[in-house]
Amino acid sequence: MAEPYLVVEHLTKVYERGHVVALKDVSFEVQKGEFLVIIGLSGSGKSTLLRCINRLIEPTKGRIFIDGVEITKLSPRQMRKFRRKIGMIFQHFNLIKRATVMTNVLTGRLGYNPTWRTLLGLFPRSDRELALKNLERVGLLEKAYVRADELSGGQQQRVGIARALMQQPELLLADEPVSALDPATSHSVMQYIEQMNREDGVTVLASLHFLSLARRYGTRIIALRDGELVFDGLPEEIDDRKFKEIYGEEAEEVEVR
Amino acid sequence: MPPGYPKVYPKGKPRRMSLDAVADFFYFGFRNLRKQLSIAVLDMGAVAVLWLLMNYVIIRFSTGQIGYTLVPWWIFGVGVVEAAALWESFGRSFGHRVERLELRRTDGREPTLKQRVLYWLLWHVSVLPLFPLLLVPSPHERGSGLELRPFTMEGRVPRPWWRTSTGIYVAWLMGAALTAAISVTISWEDLVRLFTRAGTTAKFWRSFFSPDTSIILKTIRELVVTVFMAMTATSFAVLVAVPLSFLAARNLMRGVVGRFIYTVIRVTMSIIRSIEPVVWAIFFLVWVGAKLAPFAGVLALFVHSVSDLTKLYAERLESIDPGLIEAIAATGANRLQILRYAVIPQIVNPYISFTLYRWDINIRMATVVGMVGGGGIGQALFFYLTGNLWKQAGTVMLFIIALVWGIDYLSAKLRAKLA
Repeated sequence: MAEPYLVVEHLTKVYERGHVVALKDVSFEVQKGEFLVIIGLSGSGKSTLLRCINRLIEPTKGRIFIDGVEITKLSPRQMRKFRRKIGMIFQHFNLIKRATVMTNVLTGRLGYNPTWRTLLGLFPRSDRELALKNLERVGLLEKAYVRADELSGGQQQRVGIARALMQQPELLLADEPVSALDPATSHSVMQYIEQMNREDGVTVLASLHFLSLARRYGTRIIALRDGELVFDGLPEEIDDRKFKEIYGEEAEEVEVR
Repeated sequence: MPPGYPKVYPKGKPRRMSLDAVADFFYFGFRNLRKQLSIAVLDMGAVAVLWLLMNYVIIRFSTGQIGYTLVPWWIFGVGVVEAAALWESFGRSFGHRVERLELRRTDGREPTLKQRVLYWLLWHVSVLPLFPLLLVPSPHERGSGLELRPFTMEGRVPRPWWRTSTGIYVAWLMGAALTAAISVTISWEDLVRLFTRAGTTAKFWRSFFSPDTSIILKTIRELVVTVFMAMTATSFAVLVAVPLSFLAARNLMRGVVGRFIYTVIRVTMSIIRSIEPVVWAIFFLVWVGAKLAPFAGVLALFVHSVSDLTKLYAERLESIDPGLIEAIAATGANRLQILRYAVIPQIVNPYISFTLYRWDINIRMATVVGMVGGGGIGQALFFYLTGNLWKQAGTVMLFIIALVWGIDYLSAKLRAKLA
């Protein structure tokens, strides 16, 4: 087997002096090109796990390797540079609402350009062309100069994807990318993420609420419960018993079509 | 430990007498101290205020004199402490309500009378010397087998507000406060005068509607000075308040040094703000001399605007969406880039809106500041009023009304555009 792309070793995150343990000794590996789905209830530590991987949240204990680099050892400066290769999309899209779609997409290039240029909003021609190309890819070319808050939820998330694409990432972290969207839009957004995974070979880590979505798009699934890793395997391995173990005895599976 | 606060150790419980255990003792101890003390202080405060208020009203009505307590002060002190102790032990006190807690047995059931009596007795040795509160659970809780738990509505029948104890407390309190307020501020003679002496204002109203046209040009000149005073003060205030607001935003000032700077700025600003611009104007008149009247007024408005704008700006900064900061940081952006693309887009319109609002306030304030000699139209108005020149005073007031109305309208229009 090839060298894994992402290695998480004994990752622990404790908030506020032992009061809230978000992650308890989580370890797993991800191969290059995998579409790994993280499932679990709200508050099970999915978001914390994703944010530890690009160190938006500092882990309390444990090590993380990406492509052989121990990112938990990098200085803040080195980490900023490293983040350029890690795209991220969010549940609530997190776009600059008052700015145009174009500006939002261009922020994906902030890490690649000198600070003074970006402060003045001067992005190179090549970046602008790339932005239009990526907008075309997510089907929003004609919306390039529309304000971001005028778009629908699904369109805003596609802008988020285009912004992540601008980073030309090797790894994409998706924090509940479709939780704020209706089922039909969810599939359209998930398909763009799948396309990134298949065509550009981007390794994807996505947290999802619905098991049906996880089964449909994931090549592998891990499950968290109260910050602990309770499942690591293929989508078809999750049977009724496993499901109850992850979501609790009273849970019923809901389908999203 | 009360439920809802699980004490979890990822590395296992620290050994006794280890540095971790000591740090833990103080951490949880001070949490408990803060909670218990806040309840006690709130209850004693509530009892004391109520007591003083009632006594004041009784004394005022029965003797017509001003007095605050019917008993010696030391009895008042002991009484307040004892009332708080009884209230906390035998009922759900004001402090419990504020902290959303209730007294329960450790198994979650209703306390027995014996336990409540024990709790009340031990309360004195636990709360009054303070340091036993560092122990978790504190002596009075341990001794009585009771604890403060988060309050839940589970298993309770909801009642209309006038049948809940909170509703009854609040209604009584409001009634008592209003009675006291009326009795302090209004006397019967005042009311009589209000109706019998209405005719004395006729001179004022008559002159108000027969303006003196000869001073129009002079008044307009003063009006322009007033607007300029407000503009100068607001502009310079913005220059100072924008950088200060970043240092006064809680979410941006993390760490010990950050919190220190935050506290110093916030406290200074609220002190400055609590002193009225009129007082600042007098202060600066003494400082820079009466000859430079508009300048003193500008300084007064400037100082007050800085503190007001810093607060408004900082509160806006505190409510920005942290999600966007995360998103921009995730692209590999540095601090300056995060500021430019995640923070500024969220604050620029509210900042402009606050600035316009403050300019609007400053124009109104400038007339008041002028009354004490701060220059502009206020000074003119004051001059005419003190000289019994009613006609001229009426003219000036007409202009002030027009100006304030105009600026109010303009700034509201502009702010609506920004929203």
